[in-house]
Amino acid sequence: MTIKKTMLGTLSLLALTASPVLAEGTINVLTWEGYADPSFLTKFEETSGCQVNATYVGSNDDFAPKLMAGGGVYDLITPSIDTTKLMIDLDFVEPLDTSKIEGWNDIYPKFLALDGIQKDGEYYGMPYVWGAIAFMYRDDAFDTPPTSIADLWREDLKGKISLWDDKSAIYVAARKNGDMNIYSLSDEQIEKAKQSLVEQKPLIRKYWATAGELVDLYKAGEVVISNTWAGYQSSLLADEGIKVTEFIPTEGAEGWMDSWMVVKGSPNKECAYKFLNMQLSEQGQCGVANVNGYSVANAAAAKSCMSPEQYAALHQDDPDYLDSLLIWQSLGDRFEAYTNAWNSVKAQ
Amino acid sequence: MSFLRRNLPSMLVMGIPLMWIALFMLLPYGIIVTYSFWLKKYPTFIPAFQFGNYITIFTDPQYVRVFLRTLKISVLVSMASFLLAYPFAYYLVFRCRSVALRTWLYMAVIAPLWVSYLLRAYIWKTILGTEGVLNSFLMSLGIIDEPSSLFLYNQFAMVVTLTYIFIPFMVMPIYTALEKIPTNLTEASADLGMGPWRSFWTVTLPLSLPGVAAGFTLTFCLSFGDFIAPFLVGGPDGNLIANVIATQFGAALNWPLGSALAIVMLVVVLTIVSLSDRMERKGMTGGV
Repeated sequence: MTIKKTMLGTLSLLALTASPVLAEGTINVLTWEGYADPSFLTKFEETSGCQVNATYVGSNDDFAPKLMAGGGVYDLITPSIDTTKLMIDLDFVEPLDTSKIEGWNDIYPKFLALDGIQKDGEYYGMPYVWGAIAFMYRDDAFDTPPTSIADLWREDLKGKISLWDDKSAIYVAARKNGDMNIYSLSDEQIEKAKQSLVEQKPLIRKYWATAGELVDLYKAGEVVISNTWAGYQSSLLADEGIKVTEFIPTEGAEGWMDSWMVVKGSPNKECAYKFLNMQLSEQGQCGVANVNGYSVANAAAAKSCMSPEQYAALHQDDPDYLDSLLIWQSLGDRFEAYTNAWNSVKAQ
Repeated sequence: MSFLRRNLPSMLVMGIPLMWIALFMLLPYGIIVTYSFWLKKYPTFIPAFQFGNYITIFTDPQYVRVFLRTLKISVLVSMASFLLAYPFAYYLVFRCRSVALRTWLYMAVIAPLWVSYLLRAYIWKTILGTEGVLNSFLMSLGIIDEPSSLFLYNQFAMVVTLTYIFIPFMVMPIYTALEKIPTNLTEASADLGMGPWRSFWTVTLPLSLPGVAAGFTLTFCLSFGDFIAPFLVGGPDGNLIANVIATQFGAALNWPLGSALAIVMLVVVLTIVSLSDRMERKGMTGGV
């Protein structure tokens, strides 16, 4: 089993490091794991005649450096809604011809209204999947379930708490302090959030950086409460037989949404649009929902390809849930103030 | 023409390495130095000539703090490696009678170098974890009643892991230095009435100092630039300077500040290397 896994790992590493072929009918996508999963991609490759090479990112911070290193390699990318604006401002992506995308009008209006995927009246991103940055706890560690962000500051949980190693830590701390305008915090509010995080630091076992790392931390019994990418790590833990429960704290949760974007000057437009159409269809939407456990952007596709249970569990028909989420925004030139504060917490 | 023909081979012999150095060392450093004077400006950064990045590094306490922490960890790793490696190398060279055993022991230290760095760091995670090997062992002996979380995700775990990973770089130069010491020197020392301890302090140790200096330099510099151990076994207070640089090039998208940090780091490492070089030279001339 492990040997097989290692070999598989080596093979996929080879596949990743081999330079992408720039032939006609081939598209190179830079995306998250699961968004180009063989379970629904193989069929696409067979029917469309387009071959897909996927390279995976570990964080939204990987998109800009990878594209900055020079164009002409990737055709499609899937940054989250806090990074899409940066891609547009960096001139890395081009406007979409939405008339060529079937099902565009079935996308939740809330997503199409987002500022981060458009500029000068044109769309640059095709909403794909979404979810919450929920919180999660180990069932066997709590008699009364936690309900608040403040539970991540509890002395009696010292050494059993984890927090995502990301600027979103500032969002979490700000909400704990009662500052709900998390994407437009003033310098004083950021400073206050920073102080709260410094206070919390002795209670933290480890800041988690990757999905796998958080799963390992729960599995090894190191942590019992943390934030999480709703639907993803909890299902991985369920597979391992570890009982965890996700919750949206009383202070609310952030929401994220990932969009497909076409890289400027991509020579493989035809395949790129075929790919976009597939991803927004039932094939792509239910494909990714089954692999990653994320909610999807195309309401009509979700309704027809999901079971009623899955449809409900993924909050596809729950406008209140979606509205309750504080959807990530581009921080623009305030970005530095946030990242600087978070880095300074880690330097303490 | 004949000049060229005569000198072509030597030009090639010298020219290729020189080009290699220019292309793969001087050019990248030049680019980093250039970037370090640029200015961060949304969405990325713009060319400029200003010292703001360097001023930030020396005035914002977070960078000084991380530099000092990295220094501390690197010194601890070098010290721990030295304390373990020296007696080991000494035993191999002077006390181990069986050649086969010596080869085996030497290989046992070197062999882990062939195993992936990541794997070796992961192993320490399973050893030091709350439900790890060390905790189970201590509990089975009855030394502790419940698993301790004191071993993993802190600076202790980083020092242990880095020491384990870099110790071959301490053993190898010390072993070589000890092996080069002619046995007749210690014999002469003994003939002149010195006890084994005094012989060691006045003859063996001074003669092996160049190896010790080389070992210190290697382990120190390798630890100073490490960013995997903090990621895998370090805790919330485990951020090292290489992690900060990685963040500046990635998440913060502030290549100018990242470059300036890299230059400061380079200066620290070069200072250490030249100091140790001086020490090695002194050891070689002053010793014999």
